[in-house]
Amino acid sequence: MITRRLQYELAGRAVGPLLLTIERWQKKLKRRQPRREGPFGPPLESTQKLKELMSLHYLQGRYADGAVPVAWITSGFPVEMLRPFGFHVVYPENHGALCGARRMIPEFAEVAEKEGYSHDLCSYARGDIGSVLSGKTPVGRLPKPDMLGCCTNICQTVLYWYRSLAKYFDVPLVLIDTPYVYGESQPHHIDYVRDQLDELTVTASKITGKPANSETLHETLQLAREAAELWAACLATGKNRPSPWTGFDGFIHMAPVVAMRGTEECNAYYRMLLDELNDRIARGIGGIRNERYRLLWDNLPIWYKIRELSSTFAEAGCNFVCTTYTNVWADPAKDLDPAAPVASMARAYSNILLNRDLNNRMRIFREMVRDYQIDGVVLHSDRSCKPYSVGQIDLKRLITEELGVRTLLIEADHADPRAFSEEQVETRLQAFIEGFT
Amino acid sequence: MRKEYIEKQKREHGRKVIGTLPVHYPKELFTAARALVVEIWGPPGTPRGPDAGRVQTYVCPVVRNALAFLAAGGADVVDAMLFPHTCDSIQGLASLAPDLGGWDKPTLRFIHPKGERRQSSARFLRAELQQLLTEITKITGFTPSASDLDDAIILHREIDAKRRHLLEHRRHLPFSDLELYALLRRGEMLWPAEHLEELRAAEAKMTEQPAHSEVPVMITGYVPEPQEIFSTLGEVGAMVVADDYAAVGRRVPRHDVAVSASGLDALVEQTFLQPPCPTRGANESLRIEYLDRLFKQSGAAGLIIHTVKFCEPELFDVPAIRKHFSARNVPVLSLETELEPKLSGQATTRLEAFIEMVKSNARAA
Amino acid sequence: MKAVAIGIDAGSTTCKGVAINSNAEIIASLVQPVEPLIEVQAQRCIAELRQRCGAGNNVPVAATGYGRKRVGADRAITEITCHARGAFHHTGKAGVLIDVGGQDTKVIHVGSRGEVVDFAMNDKCAAGTGRFLEVIVQRLGVSLEDVAKRVEGTDRIVKVSSTCTVFAESEVVSLLAQGEPLDGILRGLHTALANRIGALAGRLKPDVDLIMSGGVALNSAMVKALGTTLGRTPRVVPQPQLVGALGAALLVSFVSEVPSPSSTPVPM
Repeated sequence: MITRRLQYELAGRAVGPLLLTIERWQKKLKRRQPRREGPFGPPLESTQKLKELMSLHYLQGRYADGAVPVAWITSGFPVEMLRPFGFHVVYPENHGALCGARRMIPEFAEVAEKEGYSHDLCSYARGDIGSVLSGKTPVGRLPKPDMLGCCTNICQTVLYWYRSLAKYFDVPLVLIDTPYVYGESQPHHIDYVRDQLDELTVTASKITGKPANSETLHETLQLAREAAELWAACLATGKNRPSPWTGFDGFIHMAPVVAMRGTEECNAYYRMLLDELNDRIARGIGGIRNERYRLLWDNLPIWYKIRELSSTFAEAGCNFVCTTYTNVWADPAKDLDPAAPVASMARAYSNILLNRDLNNRMRIFREMVRDYQIDGVVLHSDRSCKPYSVGQIDLKRLITEELGVRTLLIEADHADPRAFSEEQVETRLQAFIEGFT
Repeated sequence: MRKEYIEKQKREHGRKVIGTLPVHYPKELFTAARALVVEIWGPPGTPRGPDAGRVQTYVCPVVRNALAFLAAGGADVVDAMLFPHTCDSIQGLASLAPDLGGWDKPTLRFIHPKGERRQSSARFLRAELQQLLTEITKITGFTPSASDLDDAIILHREIDAKRRHLLEHRRHLPFSDLELYALLRRGEMLWPAEHLEELRAAEAKMTEQPAHSEVPVMITGYVPEPQEIFSTLGEVGAMVVADDYAAVGRRVPRHDVAVSASGLDALVEQTFLQPPCPTRGANESLRIEYLDRLFKQSGAAGLIIHTVKFCEPELFDVPAIRKHFSARNVPVLSLETELEPKLSGQATTRLEAFIEMVKSNARAA
Repeated sequence: MKAVAIGIDAGSTTCKGVAINSNAEIIASLVQPVEPLIEVQAQRCIAELRQRCGAGNNVPVAATGYGRKRVGADRAITEITCHARGAFHHTGKAGVLIDVGGQDTKVIHVGSRGEVVDFAMNDKCAAGTGRFLEVIVQRLGVSLEDVAKRVEGTDRIVKVSSTCTVFAESEVVSLLAQGEPLDGILRGLHTALANRIGALAGRLKPDVDLIMSGGVALNSAMVKALGTTLGRTPRVVPQPQLVGALGAALLVSFVSEVPSPSSTPVPM
């Protein structure tokens, strides 16, 4: 136990940083190739720091089990509740995105499909279950969980997915069931979530053997709220012309606010990123070289096509200056109140975009199209994400009719390239882009 | 036929009629408030009308069909629509139809808590039931007294007990599967007291000696559509002896409900005594235990897992159910349908081959 | 020797027929592209088989395949049961049969008596069936006869990720446009199909006897691709297209050493 803990701390504080420093030197020593003239602006310098931060997170994770309590949780889980208990948290969705971007989902999904999981199920779930069953991961090793936490504010799918994991690992699953919000959230719904958060405290305390600590919770919430505010500020820089970055950059840079929310490292990172973005604004540097049209992306990214898609658009002078998805970690979390942690969390975590009705979705489109001066909206109809996709066909129509901007609906899957029709999507994108010129 | 029945109910009894989507909702509240509930499971067939394309084809056909049906005025005869929180897709429909077009009469929603019984979820459920009751009374204009509610609870307990009795003594009923399912599924639209009468009449026909000698199978799934499944099974000499369809057997408690509480508290307790259903986020192991018991009690010789394409709650449970029964040398068939009006040739072949397999298996044993 | 039974396999793309003698040997067979009026075609095939081996009208006929109920045979038995029985005739032991046909792919676990222990079939779409290859290969202008030669002649595997036939077709077009070699793409298609079939087969026990039948088994490159996916190459049964018809004939004849499924109720 003690040696395990030592390994974990060393990985996080000494060995990891050392390895990364060496890697940075090596990169500097390598003769710089002259950059090819592409459609993008100069790359964000923060990206290197982001890679280090995330590598460190996963590297430390390798030594976490046995050293500290480990929890696997969904992206919408109130992680702030767990921080005071010293959990190392793993985000299967973040891991799924990583596997998706590295095009490893089909390999993992096939393992799950062989077990009998239908290929109509969410590709994150299939990919993750397959990764667990096969023991394969691009991050070396994921620590075994002592507890699973799932919050249904992003979908009910996570409940089924985590139940499968709970059975496999034979560990407790804590469910935070967030009633869907039609209009405004009702008092008894918020009470229900608050009650469950109290139950979570009891369970976490039992698993870790530590008492609840309201002081640390207070601090964590302060950090988490600050993270949300910083992230919101980063996203808002996209309102400038040209936008200092692209919406697809946002998909990459949202990793810390999802996976490290409530820690100082997370906030330090976003302060740095915000500085850089503001600096770029001051110097007139854009995410793409020649920003002529400003677009909005709806739904999850298509992880395995991010680079190709962003190039296709950038070459035509189109920049995704905002996305509805990255906004999820900025919007309701601003309401977190360190003075009333549990009550404010119950409200904030219920009011996540995906847990609210389509009128609210339309309101967000309206605001974003106005605030970001949007010329066109691309809606990714995501085979794997029903809660995000049901209603998109009507939303598309409403956006065109009411907001007068051009829209495109493309059908794909966020992580499984086997459900992607290259030609079909390419043709639609080209036609959409041609429509601007 | 449904439409005529509903109109007659309104005309002759002055009842308000509320349509509902699947699966779980507290019938007792509606009965107590004198509202007739009519369930809409799709309806089966390919989605029709101009609104058929408003939901992507990778979403379950129940939701696609329901939107097309509502938008085409198929349910205009009812006074309000209830959307229980069954799954992500029905949850989406509950906003899509009322907010973006398709349903402009009053909308009710019922969110049932997920997972096993917890203090938090019991408390929440009670509050949610209270709110739903208030919403129903706004539509019916009748506020039931405490004894009205208790009467409704007792009536539905009796109905459930009869349904259970018929299902458990399947072999002693001189009906085909088609006939039995038609009877049980009439409960999705009949005024409860009338349904009870029909159940009693069927019970009276129960025979001393088994009326059937077909190959017995158990079936688990969402909704028994297309009904051709039963005629196909019948043709090859098989029958359903144990049912875990969400629409049928999974809504019938399999033991006497001994709940001392009354009113809403009774409904809360009863909810947690229902058979495990993934749309309530039931624990997978509990569901398997339940199915295993049902299988053994019924003497079934094979298991059919009948899923509706894209139905996430059901599909996630399939691997574990399959694994459990296969490990016990029970022949298992996975059958996937899409609420189509007729079974595909391939599905018919699967069913027939499965029964051939069960027979040869039983002969060897 | 005299014919004792006739089996007709009225499939989705071809109509197959066999006549067997009392030693369970095939003494006459035929394979024809399927015609719209299957009942007419089947009767003609039966008549032809009877004539070729001098069998009278008392020789029983069993039908299987999609058109089994329209054949007008003495018995109609599903292709699952028939394929298991037909394959068992060749192997004489328990095993796993992979049958890749035009419209269906079946993975059948055959028991030690030739009975079906378990089976899985592809879902409705053409992904994972012979049609997947056929459609795309035809689109590429390659004859089905040349496919195996081309695939076996290249070391390159160009990854085709779509499993949907329509999607894969468009993916292949864009791969060609990017200058990827045709043979490598063809090999990639074989791998994609093999992976799909592998997913259907699920986890197989290492010592299980693996056999293959159906029209696609005649494509040696596909057999090899399956071997790579499954970790071991399946043995192709003799005359892989006739396995279903053979099984049907065996099940209706008295030479069957296995109790045949009948419609008599099982004692409960």
